[in-house]
Amino acid sequence: MALKLKLGEDVHEVEIVARRPHLTVRIDGRLHTLSDLGQAEDGFGTLILDGALVSYGRIGGTGTALLRIDGRTHAVEVVDPFEGSDGTGGGRDEVLAPMPGAVVEVHKAAGDAVTRGQAVLTIESMKLQTTLVAPRDGVLVAVLKSEGDMFEKDEVVARLAPVEGGQ
Amino acid sequence: MSQPAVLRDALPLQAPAAAPIRRVLIANRGEIAVRIQRTLRAMGIASVAVFHRVDAEGPHVTGADGTVELIGDSAVAAHLDGPQIVAAARASGADAIHPGYGFLSENAAFARQVAEAGLTFIGPDADTIALMGDKISARQFAEAHGVPVAPSVMPTGDLDAFAAAAEAIGFPLLIKAAAGGGGKGMSIVREPSTLREAARIASSEAQRYFGDGRVYAELYVERPRHIEVQVLGDGAGGAIHLFERECSVQRRFQKIIEEAPAAPLPEALREEICGAAVRLAAAARYKNAGTVEFILGTDGRFFFLEMNTRLQVEHPVTEMITGLDLVRAQVDIAAGRGLPATQPEIRVHGHAIECRICAEAPERGFLPATGAVRLLRVPDGPAIRFENALRQGQKVTADFDPMLAKLVVSGPDRAAAIDRAIAALKELAILGVETNVDYLTRLLDHPAFRAGDLHTAFVSEHAESLVAPPLDVAARDRALMVAALGQRAFRTLVSDVPEPQASIGAWRN
Repeated sequence: MALKLKLGEDVHEVEIVARRPHLTVRIDGRLHTLSDLGQAEDGFGTLILDGALVSYGRIGGTGTALLRIDGRTHAVEVVDPFEGSDGTGGGRDEVLAPMPGAVVEVHKAAGDAVTRGQAVLTIESMKLQTTLVAPRDGVLVAVLKSEGDMFEKDEVVARLAPVEGGQ
Repeated sequence: MSQPAVLRDALPLQAPAAAPIRRVLIANRGEIAVRIQRTLRAMGIASVAVFHRVDAEGPHVTGADGTVELIGDSAVAAHLDGPQIVAAARASGADAIHPGYGFLSENAAFARQVAEAGLTFIGPDADTIALMGDKISARQFAEAHGVPVAPSVMPTGDLDAFAAAAEAIGFPLLIKAAAGGGGKGMSIVREPSTLREAARIASSEAQRYFGDGRVYAELYVERPRHIEVQVLGDGAGGAIHLFERECSVQRRFQKIIEEAPAAPLPEALREEICGAAVRLAAAARYKNAGTVEFILGTDGRFFFLEMNTRLQVEHPVTEMITGLDLVRAQVDIAAGRGLPATQPEIRVHGHAIECRICAEAPERGFLPATGAVRLLRVPDGPAIRFENALRQGQKVTADFDPMLAKLVVSGPDRAAAIDRAIAALKELAILGVETNVDYLTRLLDHPAFRAGDLHTAFVSEHAESLVAPPLDVAARDRALMVAALGQRAFRTLVSDVPEPQASIGAWRN
């Protein structure tokens, strides 16, 4: 399976093709080897890609990654980490805030059953109200924000119970 | 420079009585409060910080000798509450108040309250602030003292008289609503035949929007440069200049790159502009550091814009080329110790550039951005000043101005300063909130900027060539690889899959 990453306007595919002797990865058909993967955690680090040292700063373990490389900043969005793993689509467990803002109204509580597209929270960002909806059918295990609470972009504001037997 | 060291009219030569300054309340926050503290510490003067609760952990609070919390509905409201700040100064034993820039720094009523409380205001007296704070009175004062002002025709209800007077100025002309703002009732007239019609339209628009149909006209300066002169006045008619700064690169009417001295400027013109600024400061018996702003036309004519009666955001570039500490000079002047140097002693060494690092989205009209500083690395080096009050983890909200920090670098000449600034910007990393860092890098590296072909519409004129270029394939793959390796799901795939499965799909040559 390929990890789909959006950089700028385009979606790119990153795929593991071998793990030994070095990790070999195919990006949009181009092969690269990594002899040093760098740290897994957020922060400044280095890795060795095709024999060359790459220095970077990085934050974001899930969802959007923010990078500082070669004196430029990039936002790389994970299109869907579990894409292709099941056939149902829209299978995320989390409701993410699309931009920073505040909660105007909470429509659902932990324990409530929701159907895909049903409103969970109404938020206000940049003077615009938006409804955040359930990404799929399921049961809410947590609604993490109350009325008036602030949140950042990509913050998890509610979570669905994982689907039994699903990935 | 051939300017006389100090210009004096027939004014008393004695400086104001000395007032000891041992403890200073800084009525500000953020990078400027931190910067003022630094000089106070070097001078052996104690500093008192004020803060609103949203700012309680800010570096300006932790670095102060004393702190006072300000109460207010918002942080900005608290910092604008003059009586509360004066009370804080008295309660904390301060004998002087430094206002920084913004907030109350150019508020005449505040300067008066400070003086009436028996404290020293590190700035000019209230009357001077009031004189320069009013556009009309400042302009008249400048004109009366031989400082060039843009020719204009004052508001009138009589269209015929207006048209006749306006035509006498010459073209192009800018027609503005007397009560105006926001571009309403404003137009540029390039030839006599369209003047009356433009004035009529502007007048009816002004009537519709502002209920006041009066319009006025002034000479329209095309592709103007913004040149400003740093002055110091002792309050007794003595004044010197610390050369000029160029602040032509602006967006949303605010400066983003400033430099000292100006990008190429003929020596005679520089002397003329600096001389005009000193004349104004001396005539006003100006006491403090101040900035006289001018617009400079392509034809070499320059006109008074306004005088800022405070320390300026971009003051570090002047410090870097002159070696003088402007905050120290402000304190010394306020304490009655006079000017730090005579005019011939002030010399230019090299070139300095300041970049304002802002939380904003250059690709979306420079709209302010919010978020948090989740990862931070600041540039360091002998010719670098990174003025900031940032810390990792800090939230960037809409409570304050979007300026996060200032990067100031110097070099032996302009080209070297530009190269160093670009290198420092590339080293700077702020992740978690969108900033203009990469945009500034492109701006400094733009051929027109390097050539010094500057004017206040630079940003809009070069908008297309200032857009981020696409990454080449190798750089893009590097970025994608780093992004992928930060993903937990991807790391798991790399390390957790048992070997038999892992070798499936192994690629072979």
